[in-house]
Amino acid sequence: MGEVNSLSIAARLEEVRDACDFVVRAAESSGLDERAVYHCQMAVDEALTNIIEHGYGYEGADSTIEIRCQTENDRFIITLIDDSPAFNPLEHEAPDPDEPLDSREPGGWGIYFIRRLMNEVSYERENGRNRLTLVKHIVPAGELEAGQGGEAELPFPVRKIESDAVVITPSGRLDSNTSPKLERVLNLMLEEGHIWLFLDMTEVTYIASSGLKILVSAWRRAQDQKGDVLLSGLQPRIVEIFEMVGFDMLFKIFPTLEAALAARSKTG
Amino acid sequence: MAMEIISSQMKRVQLFEVVGRVDSTNASELGAAMDQAADEGRNYIVLDLGGVEYMSSAGLREMVRVLKRVKRSGGDLRIANPSERVREVLELAGLDSIFEIYPTQVEAVGSF
Repeated sequence: MGEVNSLSIAARLEEVRDACDFVVRAAESSGLDERAVYHCQMAVDEALTNIIEHGYGYEGADSTIEIRCQTENDRFIITLIDDSPAFNPLEHEAPDPDEPLDSREPGGWGIYFIRRLMNEVSYERENGRNRLTLVKHIVPAGELEAGQGGEAELPFPVRKIESDAVVITPSGRLDSNTSPKLERVLNLMLEEGHIWLFLDMTEVTYIASSGLKILVSAWRRAQDQKGDVLLSGLQPRIVEIFEMVGFDMLFKIFPTLEAALAARSKTG
Repeated sequence: MAMEIISSQMKRVQLFEVVGRVDSTNASELGAAMDQAADEGRNYIVLDLGGVEYMSSAGLREMVRVLKRVKRSGGDLRIANPSERVREVLELAGLDSIFEIYPTQVEAVGSF
Protein backbone atom coordinates (compact mmCIF):
# COMPACT_ATOMS: atom_id res chain seq x y z
CA MET A 1 0.00 0.00 0.00
CA GLY A 2 1.60 3.23 -1.14
CA GLU A 3 1.67 6.61 0.50
CA VAL A 4 -1.48 8.70 0.01
CA ASN A 5 -1.10 12.26 -1.24
CA SER A 6 -4.10 14.45 -0.72
CA LEU A 7 -5.25 17.88 -1.87
CA SER A 8 -8.45 19.72 -1.09
CA ILE A 9 -9.89 22.38 -3.38
CA ALA A 10 -12.94 24.60 -3.18
CA ALA A 11 -15.63 23.37 -5.55
CA ARG A 12 -15.00 26.08 -8.16
CA LEU A 13 -13.88 25.65 -11.77
CA GLU A 14 -10.96 28.03 -11.14
CA GLU A 15 -9.43 25.52 -8.74
CA VAL A 16 -9.57 22.52 -11.05
CA ARG A 17 -6.29 23.54 -12.62
CA ASP A 18 -4.47 23.14 -9.27
CA ALA A 19 -6.00 19.70 -8.86
CA CYS A 20 -4.81 18.76 -12.36
CA ASP A 21 -1.27 19.90 -11.56
CA PHE A 22 -1.36 17.92 -8.33
CA VAL A 23 -2.51 14.76 -10.12
CA VAL A 24 0.04 15.21 -12.91
CA ARG A 25 2.89 15.37 -10.36
CA ALA A 26 1.63 12.31 -8.50
CA ALA A 27 1.06 10.38 -11.73
CA GLU A 28 4.55 11.21 -12.98
CA SER A 29 6.18 10.05 -9.78
CA SER A 30 4.16 6.82 -9.89
CA GLY A 31 6.01 5.86 -13.08
CA LEU A 32 3.22 6.42 -15.59
CA ASP A 33 4.38 7.48 -19.05
CA GLU A 34 3.54 10.87 -20.57
CA ARG A 35 0.48 9.59 -22.40
CA ALA A 36 -0.95 7.91 -19.32
CA VAL A 37 -0.26 11.03 -17.25
CA TYR A 38 -2.24 13.06 -19.79
CA HIS A 39 -5.10 10.57 -19.54
CA CYS A 40 -5.13 10.92 -15.74
CA GLN A 41 -5.11 14.70 -15.98
CA MET A 42 -8.01 14.74 -18.41
CA ALA A 43 -10.06 12.20 -16.44
CA VAL A 44 -9.65 14.22 -13.24
CA ASP A 45 -10.45 17.49 -15.03
CA GLU A 46 -13.62 16.01 -16.52
CA ALA A 47 -14.68 14.43 -13.22
CA LEU A 48 -14.12 17.58 -11.16
CA THR A 49 -15.84 19.76 -13.76
CA ASN A 50 -18.86 17.43 -13.62
CA ILE A 51 -18.97 17.55 -9.83
CA ILE A 52 -18.76 21.36 -9.79
CA GLU A 53 -21.27 21.89 -12.60
CA HIS A 54 -23.79 19.16 -11.86
CA GLY A 55 -23.13 18.12 -8.27
CA TYR A 56 -22.92 21.61 -6.82
CA GLY A 57 -24.66 23.53 -9.62
CA TYR A 58 -21.82 26.09 -9.53
CA GLU A 59 -22.72 26.88 -5.91
CA GLY A 60 -19.98 24.92 -4.22
CA ALA A 61 -17.50 27.70 -3.49
CA ASP A 62 -17.86 27.00 0.25
CA SER A 63 -17.58 23.24 -0.20
CA THR A 64 -14.41 21.28 -0.66
CA ILE A 65 -13.52 18.39 -2.90
CA GLU A 66 -10.74 16.12 -1.78
CA ILE A 67 -8.39 14.54 -4.29
CA ARG A 68 -6.30 11.59 -3.15
CA CYS A 69 -3.57 9.91 -5.16
CA GLN A 70 -1.80 6.72 -4.32
CA THR A 71 0.19 4.02 -6.05
CA GLU A 72 -0.54 0.42 -5.20
CA ASN A 73 1.64 -2.08 -7.01
CA ASP A 74 0.95 -1.43 -10.70
CA ARG A 75 -2.12 0.73 -10.12
CA PHE A 76 -2.22 4.50 -9.84
CA ILE A 77 -5.38 5.30 -7.91
CA ILE A 78 -7.13 8.67 -7.84
CA THR A 79 -10.05 9.14 -5.45
CA LEU A 80 -12.35 12.18 -5.60
CA ILE A 81 -14.52 12.80 -2.55
CA ASP A 82 -17.23 15.47 -2.38
CA ASP A 83 -20.38 16.14 -0.37
CA SER A 84 -22.67 17.28 -3.15
CA PRO A 85 -26.01 15.43 -3.56
CA ALA A 86 -25.67 11.78 -4.50
CA PHE A 87 -24.80 11.45 -8.14
CA ASN A 88 -23.47 8.36 -9.80
CA PRO A 89 -22.05 9.47 -13.15
CA LEU A 90 -21.61 5.85 -14.22
CA GLU A 91 -25.38 5.37 -14.40
CA HIS A 92 -25.67 7.92 -17.17
CA GLU A 93 -25.75 6.87 -20.75
CA ALA A 94 -22.60 7.67 -22.66
CA PRO A 95 -22.74 9.52 -25.96
CA ASP A 96 -21.87 7.68 -29.16
CA PRO A 97 -18.67 8.72 -30.98
CA ASP A 98 -20.19 7.48 -34.25
CA GLU A 99 -22.98 10.05 -33.97
CA PRO A 100 -23.00 12.44 -36.96
CA LEU A 101 -22.58 16.17 -36.43
CA ASP A 102 -26.22 17.14 -36.85
CA SER A 103 -27.53 14.93 -34.07
CA ARG A 104 -24.63 15.39 -31.67
CA GLU A 105 -25.62 16.57 -28.25
CA PRO A 106 -23.13 18.85 -26.55
CA GLY A 107 -23.12 17.17 -23.14
CA GLY A 108 -22.14 13.88 -21.62
CA TRP A 109 -18.63 13.63 -23.01
CA GLY A 110 -16.93 14.10 -19.66
CA ILE A 111 -17.92 10.74 -18.26
CA TYR A 112 -17.32 9.13 -21.64
CA PHE A 113 -13.72 10.31 -21.58
CA ILE A 114 -13.26 9.26 -17.96
CA ARG A 115 -14.28 5.72 -18.83
CA ARG A 116 -12.19 5.56 -21.97
CA LEU A 117 -9.07 7.10 -20.48
CA MET A 118 -8.92 5.13 -17.25
CA ASN A 119 -8.65 1.38 -16.73
CA GLU A 120 -11.07 1.18 -13.80
CA VAL A 121 -13.79 3.58 -12.67
CA SER A 122 -16.07 3.07 -9.69
CA TYR A 123 -18.52 5.09 -7.62
CA GLU A 124 -19.71 4.78 -4.05
CA ARG A 125 -21.97 6.88 -1.84
CA GLU A 126 -20.62 6.73 1.69
CA ASN A 127 -21.53 8.79 4.79
CA GLY A 128 -23.23 11.43 2.71
CA ARG A 129 -20.30 11.76 0.33
CA ASN A 130 -19.67 10.80 -3.26
CA ARG A 131 -16.51 8.83 -3.80
CA LEU A 132 -15.33 8.38 -7.37
CA THR A 133 -12.30 6.15 -7.85
CA LEU A 134 -10.24 6.28 -11.03
CA VAL A 135 -7.45 3.78 -11.66
CA LYS A 136 -4.72 3.79 -14.29
CA HIS A 137 -2.59 0.71 -14.73
CA ILE A 138 1.12 1.30 -14.67
CA VAL A 139 2.78 -0.47 -17.56
CA PRO A 140 6.53 -0.99 -17.17
CA ALA A 141 8.62 0.76 -19.81
CA GLY A 142 9.09 -1.42 -22.88
CA GLU A 143 5.76 -3.15 -22.57
CA LEU A 144 2.93 -1.83 -24.60
CA GLU A 145 -0.57 -1.31 -23.47
CA ALA A 146 -2.79 -0.53 -26.38
CA GLY A 147 -6.13 -0.55 -24.64
CA GLN A 148 -7.67 2.70 -23.57
CA GLY A 149 -9.08 1.39 -20.35
CA GLY A 150 -12.54 1.72 -18.93
CA GLU A 151 -15.39 -0.58 -19.72
CA ALA A 152 -14.86 -0.15 -23.44
CA GLU A 153 -11.33 -1.39 -22.95
CA LEU A 154 -9.88 -3.27 -25.89
CA PRO A 155 -6.63 -4.63 -24.64
CA PHE A 156 -4.39 -5.85 -27.39
CA PRO A 157 -1.70 -7.89 -25.69
CA VAL A 158 1.57 -7.92 -27.58
CA ARG A 159 4.11 -10.69 -27.13
CA LYS A 160 7.53 -10.34 -28.72
CA ILE A 161 8.69 -13.77 -29.83
CA GLU A 162 11.75 -12.82 -31.84
CA SER A 163 13.57 -9.59 -32.56
CA ASP A 164 11.54 -9.14 -35.72
CA ALA A 165 8.34 -10.97 -34.81
CA VAL A 166 5.43 -10.33 -32.46
CA VAL A 167 2.13 -11.97 -31.63
CA ILE A 168 -0.72 -9.49 -31.27
CA THR A 169 -4.00 -10.63 -29.79
CA PRO A 170 -6.81 -8.17 -30.51
CA SER A 171 -10.22 -8.91 -29.07
CA GLY A 172 -13.82 -7.81 -29.27
CA ARG A 173 -15.11 -5.60 -32.06
CA LEU A 174 -12.75 -3.95 -34.50
CA ASP A 175 -14.87 -1.03 -35.58
CA SER A 176 -14.23 2.62 -36.36
CA ASN A 177 -13.95 3.28 -32.68
CA THR A 178 -11.47 0.56 -31.76
CA SER A 179 -9.53 0.05 -34.99
CA PRO A 180 -7.31 3.12 -34.45
CA LYS A 181 -5.90 1.40 -31.39
CA LEU A 182 -4.99 -1.66 -33.39
CA GLU A 183 -3.52 0.63 -36.01
CA ARG A 184 -1.35 2.27 -33.38
CA VAL A 185 -0.09 -1.09 -32.15
CA LEU A 186 0.65 -2.32 -35.67
CA ASN A 187 2.41 0.91 -36.64
CA LEU A 188 4.48 0.94 -33.49
CA MET A 189 5.53 -2.66 -34.01
CA LEU A 190 6.48 -2.02 -37.62
CA GLU A 191 8.44 1.09 -36.64
CA GLU A 192 10.32 -0.99 -34.09
CA GLY A 193 11.28 -3.43 -36.82
CA HIS A 194 8.84 -6.20 -35.98
CA ILE A 195 7.98 -6.96 -39.56
CA TRP A 196 6.45 -10.36 -38.86
CA LEU A 197 3.08 -9.65 -37.35
CA PHE A 198 1.18 -12.67 -36.08
CA LEU A 199 -2.39 -11.67 -35.39
CA ASP A 200 -4.18 -14.13 -33.20
CA MET A 201 -7.79 -13.29 -34.08
CA THR A 202 -9.44 -15.92 -31.87
CA GLU A 203 -11.09 -13.28 -29.71
CA VAL A 204 -12.19 -10.92 -32.46
CA THR A 205 -15.97 -11.03 -32.79
CA TYR A 206 -16.53 -8.46 -35.53
CA ILE A 207 -14.50 -6.50 -38.04
CA ALA A 208 -15.71 -3.35 -39.80
CA SER A 209 -14.27 -1.80 -42.94
CA SER A 210 -12.07 0.46 -40.80
CA GLY A 211 -10.49 -2.65 -39.28
CA LEU A 212 -10.00 -4.26 -42.68
CA LYS A 213 -8.36 -1.10 -43.99
CA ILE A 214 -5.87 -1.10 -41.14
CA LEU A 215 -4.96 -4.74 -41.72
CA VAL A 216 -4.28 -4.08 -45.39
CA SER A 217 -2.15 -1.07 -44.66
CA ALA A 218 -0.12 -3.03 -42.10
CA TRP A 219 0.18 -5.90 -44.57
CA ARG A 220 1.54 -3.50 -47.23
CA ARG A 221 4.05 -1.98 -44.88
CA ALA A 222 5.18 -5.38 -43.62
CA GLN A 223 5.57 -6.63 -47.19
CA ASP A 224 7.61 -3.55 -48.10
CA GLN A 225 10.03 -4.52 -45.37
CA LYS A 226 10.08 -8.19 -46.44
CA GLY A 227 7.86 -9.24 -43.57
CA ASP A 228 4.24 -10.32 -43.48
CA VAL A 229 0.98 -10.28 -41.58
CA LEU A 230 -0.14 -13.79 -40.62
CA LEU A 231 -3.65 -14.25 -39.29
CA SER A 232 -4.88 -17.17 -37.26
CA GLY A 233 -7.91 -18.40 -35.35
CA LEU A 234 -10.53 -16.42 -37.28
CA GLN A 235 -14.10 -16.97 -36.13
CA PRO A 236 -16.47 -18.21 -38.88
CA ARG A 237 -18.18 -14.82 -39.09
CA ILE A 238 -14.85 -13.09 -39.65
CA VAL A 239 -13.89 -15.66 -42.30
CA GLU A 240 -17.16 -14.82 -44.05
CA ILE A 241 -16.34 -11.11 -44.05
CA PHE A 242 -12.84 -11.82 -45.32
CA GLU A 243 -14.20 -13.96 -48.17
CA MET A 244 -16.74 -11.31 -49.08
CA VAL A 245 -14.04 -8.70 -49.61
CA GLY A 246 -11.49 -11.10 -51.05
CA PHE A 247 -9.09 -10.81 -48.14
CA ASP A 248 -8.77 -14.57 -47.97
CA MET A 249 -6.69 -14.26 -51.13
CA LEU A 250 -4.53 -11.49 -49.75
CA PHE A 251 -3.60 -12.70 -46.29
CA LYS A 252 -2.06 -15.90 -45.16
CA ILE A 253 -4.68 -17.35 -42.85
CA PHE A 254 -4.02 -20.25 -40.49
CA PRO A 255 -6.38 -22.25 -38.31
CA THR A 256 -4.21 -21.76 -35.23
CA LEU A 257 -1.44 -19.49 -34.05
CA GLU A 258 0.85 -22.50 -33.77
CA ALA A 259 0.27 -23.31 -37.43
CA ALA A 260 1.08 -19.69 -38.37
CA LEU A 261 4.28 -19.71 -36.34
CA ALA A 262 5.31 -23.07 -37.81
CA ALA A 263 4.69 -21.80 -41.34
CA ARG A 264 7.02 -18.90 -40.82
CA SER A 265 9.81 -20.96 -39.29
CA LYS A 266 9.69 -23.18 -42.39
CA THR A 267 10.04 -20.33 -44.85
CA GLY A 268 12.06 -17.83 -42.83
CA MET B 1 -0.01 28.69 -18.56
CA ALA B 2 -3.42 29.97 -19.43
CA MET B 3 -4.80 30.18 -22.92
CA GLU B 4 -3.86 32.68 -25.59
CA ILE B 5 -5.66 33.16 -28.88
CA ILE B 6 -3.95 34.86 -31.79
CA SER B 7 -6.42 35.80 -34.47
CA SER B 8 -5.40 36.70 -38.02
CA GLN B 9 -7.63 37.70 -40.84
CA MET B 10 -6.43 36.21 -44.10
CA LYS B 11 -7.87 36.65 -47.57
CA ARG B 12 -10.55 33.98 -47.34
CA VAL B 13 -9.88 32.47 -44.00
CA GLN B 14 -10.02 33.52 -40.39
CA LEU B 15 -7.12 31.88 -38.58
CA PHE B 16 -7.00 31.27 -34.83
CA GLU B 17 -3.78 30.09 -33.28
CA VAL B 18 -4.42 28.75 -29.83
CA VAL B 19 -1.65 28.42 -27.27
CA GLY B 20 -1.72 26.86 -23.83
CA ARG B 21 -4.49 25.06 -22.06
CA VAL B 22 -8.14 24.89 -23.07
CA ASP B 23 -10.44 23.76 -20.27
CA SER B 24 -13.80 24.57 -18.70
CA THR B 25 -12.54 27.91 -17.35
CA ASN B 26 -11.68 29.36 -20.75
CA ALA B 27 -13.26 27.26 -23.54
CA SER B 28 -16.08 29.78 -23.87
CA GLU B 29 -13.51 32.49 -24.69
CA LEU B 30 -12.32 30.40 -27.60
CA GLY B 31 -15.91 29.86 -28.69
CA ALA B 32 -16.65 33.59 -28.42
CA ALA B 33 -13.63 34.49 -30.55
CA MET B 34 -14.81 32.16 -33.31
CA ASP B 35 -18.40 33.37 -32.94
CA GLN B 36 -17.24 36.90 -33.51
CA ALA B 37 -15.66 35.95 -36.83
CA ALA B 38 -18.82 34.08 -37.83
CA ASP B 39 -20.94 37.09 -36.81
CA GLU B 40 -18.96 39.13 -39.32
CA GLY B 41 -19.68 36.57 -41.99
CA ARG B 42 -16.24 35.03 -41.84
CA ASN B 43 -17.29 31.41 -41.86
CA TYR B 44 -14.10 29.83 -43.18
CA ILE B 45 -12.23 29.20 -39.97
CA VAL B 46 -8.94 27.44 -39.27
CA LEU B 47 -8.07 26.54 -35.72
CA ASP B 48 -4.35 25.93 -35.33
CA LEU B 49 -3.98 23.78 -32.23
CA GLY B 50 -0.20 23.45 -32.51
CA GLY B 51 0.35 25.34 -29.28
CA VAL B 52 -2.34 23.57 -27.28
CA GLU B 53 -0.73 21.46 -24.61
CA TYR B 54 -4.01 20.32 -23.13
CA MET B 55 -7.68 20.37 -24.10
CA SER B 56 -10.63 19.02 -22.16
CA SER B 57 -14.08 18.14 -23.47
CA ALA B 58 -15.12 21.75 -22.81
CA GLY B 59 -12.88 22.81 -25.70
CA LEU B 60 -14.23 20.08 -27.96
CA ARG B 61 -17.76 21.16 -27.14
CA GLU B 62 -17.07 24.72 -28.32
CA MET B 63 -15.42 23.45 -31.49
CA VAL B 64 -18.41 21.25 -32.33
CA ARG B 65 -20.84 24.07 -31.57
CA VAL B 66 -19.03 26.53 -33.84
CA LEU B 67 -18.62 23.88 -36.56
CA LYS B 68 -22.39 23.35 -36.63
CA ARG B 69 -22.94 27.08 -36.77
CA VAL B 70 -20.55 27.88 -39.62
CA LYS B 71 -21.66 24.83 -41.63
CA ARG B 72 -25.20 26.21 -41.59
CA SER B 73 -23.83 29.30 -43.33
CA GLY B 74 -21.91 27.26 -45.88
CA GLY B 75 -18.60 27.63 -44.03
CA ASP B 76 -16.34 25.20 -42.23
CA LEU B 77 -14.10 24.96 -39.21
CA ARG B 78 -10.91 23.05 -39.96
CA ILE B 79 -8.21 21.99 -37.56
CA ALA B 80 -4.47 22.26 -38.05
CA ASN B 81 -1.55 20.68 -36.29
CA PRO B 82 -3.06 19.02 -33.21
CA SER B 83 -0.58 17.40 -30.84
CA GLU B 84 -0.55 13.62 -30.61
CA ARG B 85 -2.45 13.82 -27.32
CA VAL B 86 -5.11 16.21 -28.62
CA ARG B 87 -5.50 14.11 -31.75
CA GLU B 88 -6.05 11.02 -29.63
CA VAL B 89 -8.81 12.83 -27.73
CA LEU B 90 -10.42 13.96 -31.01
CA GLU B 91 -10.36 10.35 -32.18
CA LEU B 92 -11.82 9.05 -28.94
CA ALA B 93 -14.78 11.39 -29.38
CA GLY B 94 -15.18 10.38 -33.03
CA LEU B 95 -14.39 13.96 -34.05
CA ASP B 96 -11.63 12.95 -36.45
CA SER B 97 -14.38 11.99 -38.89
CA ILE B 98 -16.37 15.18 -38.29
CA PHE B 99 -13.58 17.75 -38.57
CA GLU B 100 -11.15 18.06 -41.42
CA ILE B 101 -7.77 17.83 -39.73
CA TYR B 102 -4.55 18.96 -41.42
CA PRO B 103 -0.99 18.37 -40.28
CA THR B 104 0.03 21.99 -40.90
CA GLN B 105 -1.51 25.44 -40.76
CA VAL B 106 -0.54 26.10 -44.39
CA GLU B 107 -2.43 23.04 -45.58
CA ALA B 108 -5.49 23.87 -43.51
CA VAL B 109 -5.62 27.47 -44.76
CA GLY B 110 -4.94 26.35 -48.32
CA SER B 111 -7.75 23.82 -48.18
CA PHE B 112 -10.38 26.55 -48.44
